[in-house]
Amino acid sequence: MNHLTEEQLILHHYGEAENAPAVAEHLRGCAVCRGQYEALHRTLSLVTAAPAPERSVDYGGEVWRRLRPELREEPRFQWRRYLRFPPLADWPRWAWVPLAAMALCVAFLAGRLWPAPSLAARGLSAEVRRQILLREIGEHLERSQVALIELLNTKTNGMVDLSMEQDLARQLVAANRLYRQTAAKAGDARMVAVLEDLERALIEIAHAASPISSTELANLRQRVDTDGLLFKVKAVDAQLRLKERDEARARAAKPS
Amino acid sequence: MMDDGDAAMVARVRGGDTDAYRTLVERYSANLFHLAYRMMGNEQDAEDVVQESFLRAFRQLKQFESRANFGTWIHRIAVNCSLDLLRKRQRQAGRTESLSAQPDDEIHALPSEGPSPERLLVNAETREQVNLALNQLTALERAAFVLRHFEEKSIAEISASLGVSGNAAKQSIFRAVAKLRVVLEPMVNSTP
Repeated sequence: MNHLTEEQLILHHYGEAENAPAVAEHLRGCAVCRGQYEALHRTLSLVTAAPAPERSVDYGGEVWRRLRPELREEPRFQWRRYLRFPPLADWPRWAWVPLAAMALCVAFLAGRLWPAPSLAARGLSAEVRRQILLREIGEHLERSQVALIELLNTKTNGMVDLSMEQDLARQLVAANRLYRQTAAKAGDARMVAVLEDLERALIEIAHAASPISSTELANLRQRVDTDGLLFKVKAVDAQLRLKERDEARARAAKPS
Repeated sequence: MMDDGDAAMVARVRGGDTDAYRTLVERYSANLFHLAYRMMGNEQDAEDVVQESFLRAFRQLKQFESRANFGTWIHRIAVNCSLDLLRKRQRQAGRTESLSAQPDDEIHALPSEGPSPERLLVNAETREQVNLALNQLTALERAAFVLRHFEEKSIAEISASLGVSGNAAKQSIFRAVAKLRVVLEPMVNSTP
């Protein structure tokens, strides 16, 4: 048997090694691996030894006292309480006059005011929509980075199941297309270029075979990360976050 | 299967008795705090995670399967809350900034006379070093490592909890351990 890999030692430490008796047997006979395993064990013991701060005995009570005001029950609307009117036949005649006047006022005001909110919303939405879009593209780039990192860092000697990564890639492709079209309309050529590359990579991942052999996975990685795609996505994401932060600061500094 | 006491409390809360939720909060707060502290690395964020987890659980209690285990369910909610906050914190500060912001004055300011303060010093230093090392991990690596190392969850449980494949969970743990070794091994080797 060759020397054990770090991954095998880690899995053995956590009791998840595929062939635990063989690993244990190897460790008994191989001083090099035993040394590696002991070093790993010492490091992880140090992590365990780092104490977590203790809470008081009444900690649960403290949490409850902070939490209780937040737990508002859904108010149950009781129609009967508000609709306890006497029968119409019992109403005095004079009561119809103010009622009719009130209905007229309500109809007039409704007619006047009804379109107003949508106009206001249209006036506000351009800036607000742009900010929301910036944030959403940032989130999208971050999720895409996670998907790419997961794929690029996967280590294997055998077959790998990519179904989870593929599900994520499929979701991201649909969102990516929308953001790319929006960026094109806004004339942001750099963003369009990065999103185009990203879309191509995501489609590659989504349509790859799964399970996939380590050789095929290496080829896929090469195709996906051509021209340092991950780096480009990171750079655009960082730039976007910076822009978002600067705009937030500018808005905060602006006198109302 | 859910603990009988938990099941009864969940049923009462669903029936409108909000104060019955107190029993569940008192029962699981300390465990959730320990999990959240390992995930976040500081007490304030851990407290926020505990609070947010119970709040989310209360609001989603109608969707909770009554045959499921409340303890497992709230644990998973706390993992998700921690991940959300961890990603937010990492976005806000960046890992490099958080590394350079590690205060070490506090450790050196501790008195070093007598066995008890020495013990405190060692504990504080160990905790500081471990936090320093854990701060270098991505949110996913940290979550996977904490669940495996401190919570003793299996790879299968971790992958279900984090919504990633078994292979992705395993790779996250490998990367986490490799990074921890880089930071902590010099400390281990210097210990007599």
